[in-house]
Amino acid sequence: MSNDFQRLPAEELYQNEINALIEAETDEIPTGWKMSPRSVLKYIIGGKVGNTNIIPKYIGNKRVVEICIATLVTDRALLLIGEPGTAKSWLSEHLAAAINGDSTKVIQGTAGTTEEQIKYSWNYAMLIAQGPTKEAMVKTPVYRAMETGSICRFEEISRCASEVQDALISILSEKRISVPELSIEVAAKKGFSVIATANTRDKGVNEMSAALKRRFNIVVLPTPKDIKTEMNIVKSGVTRLSNNFDIKAEIPTDKLIENVCTIFRELRDGQTLDGKQKVKTTSGVLSTAEAISLLTNSMALSASFGNGKIEVEDVAAALQGAVVKDEDKDKVAWKEYLENILKKRGSEWRELYMACKELNS
Amino acid sequence: MAYYYGIRHLSPNGAYQLINLLNDRKPDIVLVEGGSDLNDLIPQICGQNVKLPIAIMSYSQTIPIRTVLYPFAEYSPEYQAIKWAVKNGKQCRFIDLPSSVFLALMDISEKRRLSSENQDNSDNQNEYDKEFGSIYTKLEKFMDEDQESWWERHFEQLSSYEDYAKASEEYGRNLRIYDDKIPIDDAENYLREAYMRYNIDLAEREFDSDKIVVVTGAYHTYGIKNNIPLTEDEIKKLPSLPNKSTLMPYSYYRLSQRSGYGAGNKAPMYYELLWFAINHKDLKDAGIEYLTNIASYQRSGGNFSSSAEVIEAVRLANELAKLKGSNVPVLQDLRDSAVTCMGHGKFSEISEAVANIEIGTKIGSLPEGVSNTSIQEDFYFKLKDLKLEKYKSVVVQQLDLDLRENMRVKSEKAAFLDLERSFFLHKLCCLGVHFAENMNKKQDNATWAEQWSIAWTPETEIDIIESTLKGDTIDLAVSFVFNERLEKAQTITEASEVISDACLCGMADSVKSAVSVLQALATNSASVEEIAETARNISFVIRYGNIRKTNPEPLLPLLEQLFYRGCLIMPESCVCDNNAVAGIIKAISALNEISINHSSVNVDEWKKTLTAISKRDDLNTKASGYATAILLERGDISNDMLSIEVERRLSRGIPAELGAGWFEGLSLRNRYALIARLSLWEKLSQYIDCLDDEEFKRALVFLRRAFCEFSPNDKCDIAENLGEIWGVNPDIASEIINNQFTDAEQDILDGLDDFDFGDL
Repeated sequence: MSNDFQRLPAEELYQNEINALIEAETDEIPTGWKMSPRSVLKYIIGGKVGNTNIIPKYIGNKRVVEICIATLVTDRALLLIGEPGTAKSWLSEHLAAAINGDSTKVIQGTAGTTEEQIKYSWNYAMLIAQGPTKEAMVKTPVYRAMETGSICRFEEISRCASEVQDALISILSEKRISVPELSIEVAAKKGFSVIATANTRDKGVNEMSAALKRRFNIVVLPTPKDIKTEMNIVKSGVTRLSNNFDIKAEIPTDKLIENVCTIFRELRDGQTLDGKQKVKTTSGVLSTAEAISLLTNSMALSASFGNGKIEVEDVAAALQGAVVKDEDKDKVAWKEYLENILKKRGSEWRELYMACKELNS
Repeated sequence: MAYYYGIRHLSPNGAYQLINLLNDRKPDIVLVEGGSDLNDLIPQICGQNVKLPIAIMSYSQTIPIRTVLYPFAEYSPEYQAIKWAVKNGKQCRFIDLPSSVFLALMDISEKRRLSSENQDNSDNQNEYDKEFGSIYTKLEKFMDEDQESWWERHFEQLSSYEDYAKASEEYGRNLRIYDDKIPIDDAENYLREAYMRYNIDLAEREFDSDKIVVVTGAYHTYGIKNNIPLTEDEIKKLPSLPNKSTLMPYSYYRLSQRSGYGAGNKAPMYYELLWFAINHKDLKDAGIEYLTNIASYQRSGGNFSSSAEVIEAVRLANELAKLKGSNVPVLQDLRDSAVTCMGHGKFSEISEAVANIEIGTKIGSLPEGVSNTSIQEDFYFKLKDLKLEKYKSVVVQQLDLDLRENMRVKSEKAAFLDLERSFFLHKLCCLGVHFAENMNKKQDNATWAEQWSIAWTPETEIDIIESTLKGDTIDLAVSFVFNERLEKAQTITEASEVISDACLCGMADSVKSAVSVLQALATNSASVEEIAETARNISFVIRYGNIRKTNPEPLLPLLEQLFYRGCLIMPESCVCDNNAVAGIIKAISALNEISINHSSVNVDEWKKTLTAISKRDDLNTKASGYATAILLERGDISNDMLSIEVERRLSRGIPAELGAGWFEGLSLRNRYALIARLSLWEKLSQYIDCLDDEEFKRALVFLRRAFCEFSPNDKCDIAENLGEIWGVNPDIASEIINNQFTDAEQDILDGLDDFDFGDL
């Protein structure tokens, strides 16, 4: 497989796993699916099929994944909600990849998304030349998913204006799009569904209407429940990314990952891991995804400008950037955290503390 | 060989399949796990009008009371076994260790635990589990879901009793192999199994062994089959406590919190749904009903929840079940679907509904006469008599009582219904029975109104049964408690508390005996503060007691006695330091209140006492000042007398702190009267004028303290007085007095903090 692309879709990246699962399939496969629900589950949470190792894609709460898959079997639409960086898009991509072998039918919700981008639009040159014809129609991912009976992903649905969101209501309840210009109606084939994601921080920007919400099964993705899970996630994330980008640096040590995760968790929860001390929280979102990118950045730094070993100064700089987003408030909170918590943690934390302190002096 | 049927206590399918088994085999005797000394209760369990859940409670007749419970729900296999036997006229016996032995074992291990509490006891099962993980957490890893769901998926959905018996025996046997319990628990299990074996052997000699069915926990099946029975000698050597047993109503809430038979049941109400569904031969009904119930609970709470959501939830639950390889969803599937479809992804949105539908508020009840202790019967009789039956519910309810006579009803009983209720509830409180809680703790609110919050729990029943050792009826038990308290009472305060409690309970006899105890204690006791406080309590009872129909007669002599005694020792008590004087002042105030409220006490003696305190120079001057203030308030001191007294107290020869202390005492009461007396302030002014610098500093410290209690308004009035005396503008004076300190002034005052009083 050529690897010239910055990022391959999940189904290409894990093609061998998907093939192996399909080959070994023994259970019943729902219409429109490539494999059985149980195989999808295995693809996501990892395991072994024959000689193929399935890498865990979503670590932590297995039950959440089960609920997601069961939802899609019932042809209900699925809405994933969670803090930024809780692997919503990640999970939706892999669900689509495993179920359809195609995770590329995506609508990215933005403030500028229009209704045409959800239903269909026109190639205006052809429209003017030929009038409304099937050839002049530009099909959206939703349209294509309905035609083929597959899954369409809708990222950040709550960033769209409400009236645009509501275009989905008729699609999800009638399961058909009518095209009055051509006097046709397209009915969704079995297997069609939508996986939408929305993030809790944007809640209230464009609150979803009750009518639309009702058409989704809502699953809240939790932040990793303990530091061990989070470390696992970070480690697998960092390994994956560095392989992707051919970063020639050592994978960060467990110790370092633990340190970064600890700092992130403590600042996120507003208290130390043992629950004994309160900590000021910062304004930025210190998600697991952010921890992964922080460590990958440090690796890239050390590979390009250092000796391939992650230096504590690099991590400190990256931490500073991640924690102190823009406001003065964050800086105060970070400094307080350094002095009150890190400094007192003893020799294991000494180096990191000194490096962080240096940056703030 | 007898048929061994291993169960999980509280397993609906276990119960259902057991009935099939019994109908098939038609045994002559059914042997059930349960205390073998409780066989007498078997007919009562199946009596008419018994509403489950109920429990058998066995309690020791020793102190501390130990109790052991055997709870039953409708879907307990044990209950269904008993019911079948009674219905079909077959024999039924409990075969486990007698509850008296359990109580003794409990007593021993509890005492051991207490004695080793200070030492480090490492053989604690919980700590052990924490370190290695209990057998169940190990199982969960293996089963890939929590043990409760796993059981439900694999056992509650089996469709024949043979499968159930085989599966549960295998399950129990494996539990035994992989569970490394601490030795002491193992020993207890072994003992129980050997005892059960003995009883089964006994039955096998009596009956055709094919006609015997043994119903025990699945864990024990293997042990019972293979252990050697205990011998009669060994049985005789088992420890045992004298005990009694009774039936009691139980609640689903309590069932949900692991108790009794060990295996609790986290969702008793849901299991009841399951039980009905199994009986109607459609397991899926349970899930549908569960989800529908949640939706309707949501609606009743004003939350939107549509039928479409229920339909979606049912579909989702079915798919979740399929993922796990079962056809019928289990509770966990149902709950997760409810969260996803009705709770919009958040458990918190439906948590209340879940608690209500899974656990529920159901409580059992027993027909009259079934309870075995007379105090239980008394309790239920009173509940009925006082129309409090509707409060026998696990939901907390409020009850407002108006203790006054209700003029709108015919009978006297109805007129004083609330009062009788109040007596009853207070009695329960005195017994330590957790049933009702008095919400208005403050006595100075309206004395005729009471607010109670009432909730019945199985603990209530247990508390009541435990009270049986104190007396056969509630009244007897309460008076026993009062007597016990009186015997232990060392101070008159304790005795007076019994008096007020007894009045609250309307127990005239206890009041009388408390009075005599108090009298005895009063002769040889006590500080004047204690006497005053006690007298105040009693005065309170006398003044407001008639609302509770308390007869004040026996209390009056006691009050007079205490009051007189207080008068006599008061002056000498006033020889005290400045820390103790606060208590003395409280006592003076209390006795003064009594002298005003009760004409029968010796008021003349009180006046004499006050005058003495006010006049004497060798007492704490603050107390003297306070006594003077009271005399002034009562109008027992003339203006002339007052000014003479002021002059004397605030003259040059008297050390400044004593003078100022006296003034402080004087100003504690009726300030307006003081402020209005211009002459007083003239005297104070003269006094300050005549002090030299050092004396002034001393006096300043005390005077400041005296004036800190005054409000700004008071200070304005004083300023006006002083302005008049000194001939300055009152407004300016007031401003100076009320202004905040400047820093410089504050520094000077701070300097006074270190003022060396030398002689003090």
